[in-house]
Amino acid sequence: MLHRRIYQFFIIYLLGLLVLFSVKYLLDLSDYVIPGIEDLVQTFRTVFSRYLSDVVDTISVAVIGQVISIFMATIVGVLGRQTTWFGSFIKVAAYNVQAYPIVAIAPIIFILFGDGFLSRLLIAAMICYFPILLSVISIMSEPVHDIEHFYRVTGRMRWQLEVKIRAFENLNKLTTVISGSATLAMAGTIVAEFIAANAGIGYSIRIALYQSDLAKILTALFLIGITLSVYQGLLEIVGYLVKKGWASH
Amino acid sequence: MFLECQNINFRYPNGSLDVFHGLSFKMKTPGFHALFGPSGVGKTSLARIIVGDINDYAGVVRSEGMQNLLYSYNLERLPDWSSVGKHLEKITPPSLIDRKNELIASFDMTQTMRNRFSQLSLGQQNRVNLIRYLLQDFHLLIMDESLANVDERTREKIILGIKDMFPDTYFLYISHNVIEVSKFCREILVFRSPQKSPQVVTVQGQDHKLGQTVAKDQLEQTMLEIMHAS
Repeated sequence: MLHRRIYQFFIIYLLGLLVLFSVKYLLDLSDYVIPGIEDLVQTFRTVFSRYLSDVVDTISVAVIGQVISIFMATIVGVLGRQTTWFGSFIKVAAYNVQAYPIVAIAPIIFILFGDGFLSRLLIAAMICYFPILLSVISIMSEPVHDIEHFYRVTGRMRWQLEVKIRAFENLNKLTTVISGSATLAMAGTIVAEFIAANAGIGYSIRIALYQSDLAKILTALFLIGITLSVYQGLLEIVGYLVKKGWASH
Repeated sequence: MFLECQNINFRYPNGSLDVFHGLSFKMKTPGFHALFGPSGVGKTSLARIIVGDINDYAGVVRSEGMQNLLYSYNLERLPDWSSVGKHLEKITPPSLIDRKNELIASFDMTQTMRNRFSQLSLGQQNRVNLIRYLLQDFHLLIMDESLANVDERTREKIILGIKDMFPDTYFLYISHNVIEVSKFCREILVFRSPQKSPQVVTVQGQDHKLGQTVAKDQLEQTMLEIMHAS
């Protein structure tokens, strides 16, 4: 799983570079617009360690934000699964609120909480929270009739058992959603850093943008991509181990 | 203790045809009874009306002296997070542990207790599902094709075993096998189309029990009655 993620990323990144250099040489663009391979390698060597530390900073915020959003989405999703007034209210609220772009709210968060860690964390959590919530709600509100029937008619059904059955039956879906939401958490953090924060790889990209330094941006993209691939690969492995462990319990 | 349905009228909310129109019958004695008829005549719908899964019908269902009415069907599954043996342990009251072991043995399921549900064949899955229902406290159990995919010999052994273990309990066995219902069931409710009146006809089955033999001509007579009724 992990190695597949990594080589897939390498293929995509190299294809991207290929397109970029094709455009450069076909249109005869200057090194100021698209740097040459030598410039790129030189920049990579110069900023690698600083950018790596920035990416680690960013992914740390993204991971914490993702964990918070998974935790919140699970609680709200479990409450929202009920066919009661409260459950319906949670579902409708979740669908409506997620329609509002979080990025548009980001400036308010920066005004209220400043440009530090908390704002980045909040935006990362909010961006990946809603897709997870919608998946959890949809999984938790869908009865698994052929399993649940016995427990219902014999009066053995408890909410914990109901949640356990639905989570177990949809473990693959949940793992995919959680793994996919890692990208959103990372994107959320980078967007936050790009808008106003004072640290992280998004902040470094903003500076590189002001300097019109595409080589730095490509280096940042490489490090973001490889880090995210490793993280998603690890999440998939954890999901696989959880399923295996649960099934062999 | 009896089960009675009086003048049941029912149509599914989006359906254009009546499933039941003035359906009535009464079962006065416990035992192994059957609901018989072609697919789509309403056997499962009636089962769900009897146990209270369907409520938007007209008419009266009386289950005098019966508190626990259970409905089981052949597509049910057990969660796969532990072995079927562990699942059965969990749902068996302490007073019924001996019965559980007896059922496992008579259903030929001893070898499969360490397996997970998904590792069993379809017939084994249906048997395990039926065992867990038989370990509950009930006065009426509806078995909706609960022995599908089980071979004939094992099915016979299971039905005779159930009849022997639960002589004072009501069973409603939904099956499409005319020989089986004729041979083992006491009363057979033969379903006809809603256009026919009465919609169900009761035929007396041979009610074959453990240690008895069934006369071939009598069995054929019952089968003919069923075919004629339907």
